[in-house]
Amino acid sequence: MRNITIAMIALLCVQFTWGQMISGNVTDSSGEPLPGVSIIVSGTTKGTTTNFDGEYSIEATSGDILEFTYLGMLAQQVEVANQTSVNVVMQEDSEQLDEVIVTAFGISQEKKALGYAAQSIDAEAITQTKQTNIVNALQGQVAGVQITNSGGAPGQSARIIIRGINSLDPSADNQPLFVVDGVPIDNSTVEAGVNDNGNTPRGLSNRASDINPNDIESMSVLKGAAATALYGVRAANGAVIITTKKGAAGQVKINLNTSVGFEELNRLPKLQKEYGQGFSGEYDPSSFWPSWGAPIAEIAQDVPGHKYQDNWNRAFDTGIQTDHSISVSGGSENATFYGSFGRFDQKGIIPFSDWARTSAKISGTLKLNEKFDFSGSINYTNSGGNRVPHDRFMERMMYWAETQDVRDYINPDGTMKTYSNTNPIYDARFSTYKDDVNRVIGNLNFNYSPWEWMTLSYRLGTDFYTDMRTEITPGPKGIDNEVALSSTGFIEETRINSKDITSNFYITLKKDWNDDFNTTLRLGNDIFQRKFDRVFLRGENYVIPDFFNVNNTRQIFTGQAKSIRRLVGFYGDLMVNYKDFLYLNLTGRNDISSTLPKDNNSFFYPSVNLGYVFTENFETPSWFTFGKLRASWAQVGKDTNPHILGATFVSDDIFPLNGQVGFSRNSEFGDPELKPELTTSVEFGTQLSFLDSRLDLDVTYYKSNAEDQIIPVPISDGTGFSSYITNAGEIENSGFEVVLSGDIIKKSDFQWTATANLSMNNNEIKSIREGIDEIVIGSQFGYAGSTVTMKLIKGDAYGNLYGTSYERFGADENAVSLNNGLPTVIGDNGFPLTNSNQLILGNAVPKWIGGLRNMFSYKNLELSFLVDFRADVEQYNQFDNFLSAFGKNEYTLTRNDFKVFDGVLADGSPNTQEVWLGQGVGPDGVDYGAGFWRNYYRGVSENFVQDASYVKLRNISLAYTFGDRVLDRIPFKSMRVSLAANNIILYSPWDGFDPESFSAGAGGNAVGFTGLGFPGTQSYFLTFNFGL
Amino acid sequence: MKISDNIKRIFAIGLILVLSACDSYLDVNENPNNPQDAPISGLMINSVYESAYNVFRVGDITSNYVQYLASPNPASSSDTMDPVSNNTTWFRLYNVMTDLVVLIDKAEEQGAGHYQGAAQVLMALNLGMGVDIFGDMPYSEGFNFETVTPVYDSDESLYTVILNYLDQGIANLQGPTTSSLGDDDFLYAGDIDKWIAFAYTLKARYMVHVKDLPSYDADELLNAVDNGFASNDANAQLSFFEQSINPWSDVARDNANLVLGGWISEQFIEALDGTTYTTVDPRLPLMVGATDDGEYIGTVNGAGRGNAPEQGARSTLIEDQYYTGQTSPVLISTFSELKFIEAEAAFEGDKPRAYQAYLDGIAAHMQMLEVAQEDIDAYLASPEVSMGEGAFTIDDIFKEKWVAMFLHPETWNDARRYDYQYENMTLPANLNPDLNGQYIRRLPYPDNEVSRNGGNVPSVTLLDRIFWDVE
Repeated sequence: MRNITIAMIALLCVQFTWGQMISGNVTDSSGEPLPGVSIIVSGTTKGTTTNFDGEYSIEATSGDILEFTYLGMLAQQVEVANQTSVNVVMQEDSEQLDEVIVTAFGISQEKKALGYAAQSIDAEAITQTKQTNIVNALQGQVAGVQITNSGGAPGQSARIIIRGINSLDPSADNQPLFVVDGVPIDNSTVEAGVNDNGNTPRGLSNRASDINPNDIESMSVLKGAAATALYGVRAANGAVIITTKKGAAGQVKINLNTSVGFEELNRLPKLQKEYGQGFSGEYDPSSFWPSWGAPIAEIAQDVPGHKYQDNWNRAFDTGIQTDHSISVSGGSENATFYGSFGRFDQKGIIPFSDWARTSAKISGTLKLNEKFDFSGSINYTNSGGNRVPHDRFMERMMYWAETQDVRDYINPDGTMKTYSNTNPIYDARFSTYKDDVNRVIGNLNFNYSPWEWMTLSYRLGTDFYTDMRTEITPGPKGIDNEVALSSTGFIEETRINSKDITSNFYITLKKDWNDDFNTTLRLGNDIFQRKFDRVFLRGENYVIPDFFNVNNTRQIFTGQAKSIRRLVGFYGDLMVNYKDFLYLNLTGRNDISSTLPKDNNSFFYPSVNLGYVFTENFETPSWFTFGKLRASWAQVGKDTNPHILGATFVSDDIFPLNGQVGFSRNSEFGDPELKPELTTSVEFGTQLSFLDSRLDLDVTYYKSNAEDQIIPVPISDGTGFSSYITNAGEIENSGFEVVLSGDIIKKSDFQWTATANLSMNNNEIKSIREGIDEIVIGSQFGYAGSTVTMKLIKGDAYGNLYGTSYERFGADENAVSLNNGLPTVIGDNGFPLTNSNQLILGNAVPKWIGGLRNMFSYKNLELSFLVDFRADVEQYNQFDNFLSAFGKNEYTLTRNDFKVFDGVLADGSPNTQEVWLGQGVGPDGVDYGAGFWRNYYRGVSENFVQDASYVKLRNISLAYTFGDRVLDRIPFKSMRVSLAANNIILYSPWDGFDPESFSAGAGGNAVGFTGLGFPGTQSYFLTFNFGL
Repeated sequence: MKISDNIKRIFAIGLILVLSACDSYLDVNENPNNPQDAPISGLMINSVYESAYNVFRVGDITSNYVQYLASPNPASSSDTMDPVSNNTTWFRLYNVMTDLVVLIDKAEEQGAGHYQGAAQVLMALNLGMGVDIFGDMPYSEGFNFETVTPVYDSDESLYTVILNYLDQGIANLQGPTTSSLGDDDFLYAGDIDKWIAFAYTLKARYMVHVKDLPSYDADELLNAVDNGFASNDANAQLSFFEQSINPWSDVARDNANLVLGGWISEQFIEALDGTTYTTVDPRLPLMVGATDDGEYIGTVNGAGRGNAPEQGARSTLIEDQYYTGQTSPVLISTFSELKFIEAEAAFEGDKPRAYQAYLDGIAAHMQMLEVAQEDIDAYLASPEVSMGEGAFTIDDIFKEKWVAMFLHPETWNDARRYDYQYENMTLPANLNPDLNGQYIRRLPYPDNEVSRNGGNVPSVTLLDRIFWDVE
């Protein structure tokens, strides 16, 4: 009843007869024959399907209506006149993809039957974004889904959060489960730095980036517990269901894709260019202080070559990426295949950063007979690159004098060229960290239907990777007066082995009780195991300089961390369909986890959801095409990490010393009475469609309560432990999601469609375990007491940032939040006073996120763009803190000014005292020491917790598809060229690099801290697609 | 009937098999990386190592306050007495104290009296170091995880605890034991007499801190001195390892590679090079490095190195001297320190004893550094040093103790008791404005503790004094 659009009818006039045989062929818009199209004579039971060549024949009578339907195509109706041949060209229906949605276990379901919200995006929307990481490709496209790029490093992780943070655990992986063709894959991010030595972030990849986006047919996002109930604990944060491309019956298709892109920094903080190296306004060419010296122009008169070097623009390269892929697919009615090969290369904007991915995939399906079919796929990926110490790079950029050329970093003998400080580019070049991942993801699917009402299905998946990492920092070369990166140098070899096995067996029983009432029951068993082993070997202090082998070092350290996690689940799923307007779905699952105490490790959780298509139940006006109400209630349990229970003893990697090995009690203690977490969620929603689906609206309200949260609570070291893992609290997330889409213009040669999504999330810490007042989620250093901390306190929202502020006159002593409407209190010396009490200065979880996608097509030309935004969000701008401490921001230009600070004295009278902002003895004879910015400004967190909203042009792309006139002259069946640009900041009040970047990587929850991470980039692409 | 019974039975057995198989399949959660228990020997090894390291960690903080060291950069927070959050040092103190509490309990259970006693002595050492820099600390609700927010015990009450540990430690070391310390004892390789002397020496250290309080008992202190170290042979020190080098050596090595640190304060250089006093101290070239021109030039605290280059123009710690060899010891407590304590304690009641102890303290330190005997004799013969019992003042004790305790955290305790009255000592440049022109009196509580246990953390400023630091 939806999408009844007749696109094209080929009519041939033939003599009128009764009961004539109609025959013809069905093709897609490119002229490819379509096998398996179903054709029925409307109002009868007569029907047939097209054969392998897209041909059919059917008996019909003049006046009959033939209905042609095919998954993913617009249905067509053709009235039979007196012809004998009806040829039909089916048109692809992008909306139709919305109609059928891939849900848990890869089960395709009609969206209208779902009692919960789910959203899907197709291949084009994915590849158009030109994102190498499939997580990024979802950005701005799906309501309620927040994607955060951790930074612009090649291959760097991106974080995905669905419907807010569900866990209070600062290190918890709140990310959804990634499922490829029915089998979960590993999407963890294993950052550098578990050992003392390698504690600088290196911007490693989340493992989903091993998937080549060109292989993906569609991604659906299952948001709530109701949608993911069948996946159990692993999908407690939602699931991203990826369906890869498959071969289709018909001619062999070959697709070639090649793309080249460039990237550059998308934003810089506002910087001053007037003052150079030194302190107290005095020029000093060897000073540690980069910008507290004399005016550059003044010194330049005496010192040749002394100038502002514009290092912040010159230190970064133009990043380059190339992406090539080829795929071959085809098959017959009973067997299909798909094979692909891809190679991606990227050089980042920080010099010497790079990443590459080579992927190969082969998949096939085989239908042995009506009862048995079988499919499988194997995907091999090799990925990795050189991960520069981006945090340290940016930190060293902070310290680097603006009057010294940062690009002039190396002496002819290979030592660092510097005036004193470590050169960031030299460090990036020689402090290498390379990862080399070899990964195989494979799955096998069997379906056996002994009877029509019963299917036995078995899925077996493996996800196995080795990650070989080598970190090298050279020591001194033994050359006089060299500045070495390290006094000893070291080499660390890390070997990670991770192996996931998933086994899933289920029985599907279908029964049509009568015309109105049918049911589907699934019963199954799911087993998951992950074995992880990380071994490192570190050698320090090279004997022969620059010979990088562990055998060439004087001190050797080793360590091992291994883990095993097993899960066994039993589940049942009952779907009831009443008259195609009432859909009821009940599920129940019991998980048993190896990670919980034996008495608490088995837990059951049910779900129920109901979909009511009221437009099928009673008459609605013709413009009201479709309407559904849905409601769900669901619970999902969650286990914890392996091997955390109880107290253990650890031995530091310095041992053995003189043959003796020391032990210390581990500072982490896991509650031996730990229970599984339980999340209960309710969801109400409606899906409405008007004017023959020209306008679609989907609105969802959700609320989820995650109880008994398992959290490593940081506790006073005085307790004997520093971290206590326990069931510590409850968090509530609630919000709205709205998706509105419209076919605004729908003419034969001009189309305009737009989709907008908007979500609002509220969260609240409902309770924290007795005895714990607050939980520290994370904190980041700020100078002189301006460290900002994210804390959880009962009744507050998740993501509140605490820090110091200026003292406010008349502020409530018990207030927990800063009231910046009150006047600042000025001290006796004329400078503002600092309030060292920790007050709430902002919240790091965006309240509003959304995106708007527009697609225009005019003849062969397509233009699409995606704008996304986030609003009502604050972050700690650590860059700004450092810049102010080192006199680099534009606002420190006022350093030689006098100022009367706005505010009141302790007695409430207005401040009138004039003070000098500079360093040392001012013109007024007063000694101001290190000056305002260092003595006061940098030590107040309030100055650096800033509005981090943005509006971004996430992607814009212009594509041209060549027509037959060109194609006739070249050996390709299809050809398309496109230009795209990504991640352009349209608006942000933020003074700094891309506000989206943060240093912690995708693994944790401590967002809201920019750190000194890899800055965000904008990029441009040119892409060609060829079909053979 | 029978058949269905059998079916039921088979089904039941099958179910049990499946479930029990499931049980063992899921029984894989025992930690494969860290053992559930550790031997007392292993705890002792780590505790001694970490205790010595803690002496370095605290010394690293305090050496700039007492102007042994100075930052090469101007306005460095370590020099200017800014509030610096010492999360790591706090954690390390509690981490080793936790291990010691575990060790004491286990040793008591096993009847290993010597392990118990040695652990009690180390407990006193670490708790004492903590209280002397932080003041009130969690103790009575600490270590055994009774609460997640332990209350703070007053610094004064903790001193009683410290002295109790030492008394109990001495008693246990003198008593029987089921197992003996040996190679697992990095301090004394099982020499119990030296452990006992170490305990008495620590007693003397903590008793002299309260000299200005009514509870002070000079006789008891001198009794502890008599039972303390008799020579440098018994010094409590941990010699470092090829695998884990002396941390001061690491600082010197880093500095040589231009990762700057370990720069010597002008105050220290001038006190030894004949500027502040006319006598040139022969120890100076054995303790710090010279400039490229062979001179000894210090750096003014808080002022930075000015126009001096990173290398060759200022005195710094250099590798392979007494304090800075890769396997050099970190000194926990020495005979020389004990002699200066004795001098201070005897000063009022028995000045001749005090004077002799003062001279012995200097000699002991010089012998430790292997100063040539003729240089020792010459230095001790200088009228500025051996001024005679009559002219001998408490200032002389503090000055010489300050030299002999180079880099040791105990000096900051002395400096505060002595109100930083060292000859020519001045406030650092760019002093933290909140100190109102005064010297720092304590460390702030670390950020971690403020955020995790805020309700109990006492509200203090850097000018609030530890209980023994009487105005």
